[in-house]
Amino acid sequence: MNERVIPWQPTVIAGPKQALLVTPETAEMMIVKAKRPLIVVGPLINDNPAQVLVSKIAEKWNIPIVSTGDAFKSLTEAGVPSKSYGLVEIVNLLKDPEWKGVSGEGNHDLVLFIGVIYYMGSQGLSTLKHFAPHVKTLTLCKFFHSNADASFPNMKDEEWLKYLEMLAKVD
Amino acid sequence: MENKSKAKELKDDFWKSKKLLVTTGKIADDIQGDSSESKGPTLKPSVTDLREWDMKLLKRYTPFYAPFCDMCCLCTYGKCDLTGGKKGACGIDIEAQQARIVLLACCIGSAAHGGHARHLLEYLIAEKGEDFPIDMGTNIDIEAPIMRVVIGKKPRNLGDLKEALDYLEEQMVHLLSACHTGQEGKSIDFESKALHAGLMDDLGKEIGDLAQIAALSMPKGEDAPLVELGLGTINQEKPVILCIGHNVAPGASIIDYLEDHGLDDDVEVCGICCAAIDITRYKPGAKVIGPLSKQLKFIRSGVADVVVVDEQCVRTDVLEEARKNKAAVIATTDKICLGLPDLTGVNTDKIVKKLVNDEIEGALILDPDKVGEVSTRVARQIAEERKSLKKLPDLQEIQEMAKECTECGWCVRVCPNNQPMMEAVTGAAEGDFSKFIELYKYDVCYTCGRCEQECEVNLPLISMLTKVGEHYVKDEKFNIRAGRGPVQDVEIRRVGAPIVLGDIPGVIAFVGCSNYPEGGEDVAKMAEEFLERNYIVVTSGCGAMSVGEYRDGDGKTLYEKYSGDFDAKGLVNVGSCVSNAHIPGACIKIANIFAKKPLEGNFEEIADYILNRVGACGVAWGAYSQKAAAIATGVNRWGIPVVVGPHGTKYRRLFLGRADKPENWKINDLRTGEVVQGEPAPEHLLYAAENREEATVMIAKLCIRQTDTPKGRQIKLNHYLDLHKKYFGILPEDVYKFVRNEKDIPITYKKEVINILEEVGWEPRALPQEPSLMKFREEKASDKGDSK
Ligand code: SF4
Ligand code: SF4
Ligand code: SF4
Repeated sequence: MNERVIPWQPTVIAGPKQALLVTPETAEMMIVKAKRPLIVVGPLINDNPAQVLVSKIAEKWNIPIVSTGDAFKSLTEAGVPSKSYGLVEIVNLLKDPEWKGVSGEGNHDLVLFIGVIYYMGSQGLSTLKHFAPHVKTLTLCKFFHSNADASFPNMKDEEWLKYLEMLAKVD
Repeated sequence: MENKSKAKELKDDFWKSKKLLVTTGKIADDIQGDSSESKGPTLKPSVTDLREWDMKLLKRYTPFYAPFCDMCCLCTYGKCDLTGGKKGACGIDIEAQQARIVLLACCIGSAAHGGHARHLLEYLIAEKGEDFPIDMGTNIDIEAPIMRVVIGKKPRNLGDLKEALDYLEEQMVHLLSACHTGQEGKSIDFESKALHAGLMDDLGKEIGDLAQIAALSMPKGEDAPLVELGLGTINQEKPVILCIGHNVAPGASIIDYLEDHGLDDDVEVCGICCAAIDITRYKPGAKVIGPLSKQLKFIRSGVADVVVVDEQCVRTDVLEEARKNKAAVIATTDKICLGLPDLTGVNTDKIVKKLVNDEIEGALILDPDKVGEVSTRVARQIAEERKSLKKLPDLQEIQEMAKECTECGWCVRVCPNNQPMMEAVTGAAEGDFSKFIELYKYDVCYTCGRCEQECEVNLPLISMLTKVGEHYVKDEKFNIRAGRGPVQDVEIRRVGAPIVLGDIPGVIAFVGCSNYPEGGEDVAKMAEEFLERNYIVVTSGCGAMSVGEYRDGDGKTLYEKYSGDFDAKGLVNVGSCVSNAHIPGACIKIANIFAKKPLEGNFEEIADYILNRVGACGVAWGAYSQKAAAIATGVNRWGIPVVVGPHGTKYRRLFLGRADKPENWKINDLRTGEVVQGEPAPEHLLYAAENREEATVMIAKLCIRQTDTPKGRQIKLNHYLDLHKKYFGILPEDVYKFVRNEKDIPITYKKEVINILEEVGWEPRALPQEPSLMKFREEKASDKGDSK
């Protein structure tokens, strides 16, 4: 099996339904198609160059950012505005089709995850996979997330940052 | 007693006739004779008797499911794929399937405690007799708060505990049977049953701990001594006996044997996990190695000559691991037999000879007294010869081994926490052991051994880690306050009011296992943070040990720094896993002693009181076991919220509130008979946090209760705001939800909070005087009328 698409923690594999492996180009298409995307940023990328790239991605498409864990502080210090929720709280809200979303305009139809603790993120993605058919999930970590609808592959830092740069690039 | 259980038999009968119960004169008389008038409606509740209460909880704190597996493989119709809304061949859907697994986990956990209690009780009755009194001393009248509520009786002697255990076992059979294919079908009802399993877990723990406290003269809530903790406390020159598990009986018998034979100074007795805590409650001279996270590295170190295992949380490969350095293994309970020959009935000399001569790998000995003698004699005879085996590879060897690493990276991927084992190894290859040391300290690597299983060049990673640790982190000497058991009634009289009014900002209990995301230091730091802020901090089990394995800036352990009083700034170690029962126990006592709520058969009223008024919060930062699932679910049913670490999401279910929906927080004010707008307090019942920072802030928030006085609320909000500012850099946006009127605003943050209030268009609210999820009296009466 291709090393890049074995879930980063191999035992999170949950069953027959696996995420689609995506490149930055496909990821971009998903974002462009989405009506109300959201980015969820976890504490694993606190003080990481990926933070700045994520903020560029957010700016490029005007996507609101939710921070989980204590990522809010680090993002704020990096000049990136976000709204803080616990990971399980935001997933709980996302799975409710009636929820009005972080901007109060309606629930989100695409959620991009990055920097969330891998196995906990995997559990959250599982919740959305099973209980939120109205939400598509896309993970931008350097780890393959089999519970997402679409995921970047397992990568080393260098390639991963390149992926993010490609996505952040304003044409 | 006899008559009462007769009435119960009828009540439990599926085909029961309600009429029979009320018209059969004898039974009605019997209940009267047992002064049932003063007893509440739910004595010995059946699986469905508390369902109405559960539904109230579950409506507010809706189960949140995170499936760990998309399929079900429980029966031979399967595997069934439950993705995309598909149902299994039996008709179950993914939600109900998750809830079923939760129930199963709670049943397993509860059965472990119940079985443990049964073992202990039978052993202690055999030793001391059924009439041995349960005397908790002059400072405790309510010796068994959980049993009083659930069973409705005061246990006077060991024999009295049997009735409660019989009831528990009966309930467990029903609960487990509901997991069978084609039984329960709705997630919400699985959850109600899981809550019942949690309650049985509470009961089992209370029975077990009460029995051992009474019969083995463990501390009865009084101040307990500090005992030694840490690998560095063991004198390796002496023969060493290691006890792993939870049942005190074998360890106690070892101590007795040593004392009776004047050998106390000649042999080291130490323990890992709760057995350690309970042995030191029995005799403070024993030593605590530490939490579960030490298990494999201590066995690998070869220091233990004899390894005695009893029950729960013992590595199932303990025999194989211990044999690597020729330690003798003695299994002591029916739960863990390890394929060893049963030598219970064999003459002691013979067993010792067989073990010393290495004729057998180990022995199963189901008689604790015999274990005491055999383990001591074997340890003394083999220790000398084993000295050379206590050596792990030296640093030079480790460096050479490390050079074999192919940098495949799989050790990191399979690590539950993705700890950088590969970096540690590649560093060591260059002679730099710093990364290994980082993994070693605070058990950041908790030696689960998964990396080692995966390594493609078969590096003995745990042995390498252990050696480096031994070499660089020599003086791992700490201490822990021996488990004191229950909170005394006199203490409750003192702190009941300040807790309910909010002057003491909260009671925070760090419980559970050592499946920490980043090592045990996080738990100690959380405990320290709340101690400095005047909370009452309670510890138990592995959590209690992790708190002890930390020194503050002045080089003191938190147990040295803070008193063991159940009072503001007190650090109270209640004891082992079974001692967790004293945590809901203390909350129940507050309802009874401070608020005069009757106990017997009055579960719902007590739980309702705790939920709405007692600012307690459990924290199981490293929860891993099914027991921890049952413990959390059990205290949840009493209305106590719990925060778990990130691994807790793998339990598949949390109980989350929706603070954004004011309608969910409407509450009955029983004093005025009006439904009023309440607050999201506590906001969640079972919450998983991603890291310590998030958890700390959430714990402070979960201590807020509807009945805080303005002064109490100011104190609680002050901590919540402070901590939020510390870890998030700003004040929390949701502060307005917890400000009922201006008197609630903490002075330090007045201006900033008023700004937030203005921004959201906040309006003052009335305080409910008697907030409750229970029905108004008239509603209850009309329900009764309907059923007639
Ligand atoms: S119990 Fe039900 S869902 Fe599970 S395998 Fe059997 S039929 Fe399928
Ligand atoms: S022993 Fe377990 S916790 Fe330690 S590094 Fe290996 S996999 Fe991780
Ligand atoms: S699994 Fe073994 S070979 Fe692979 S990186 Fe880890 S230590 Fe090296």
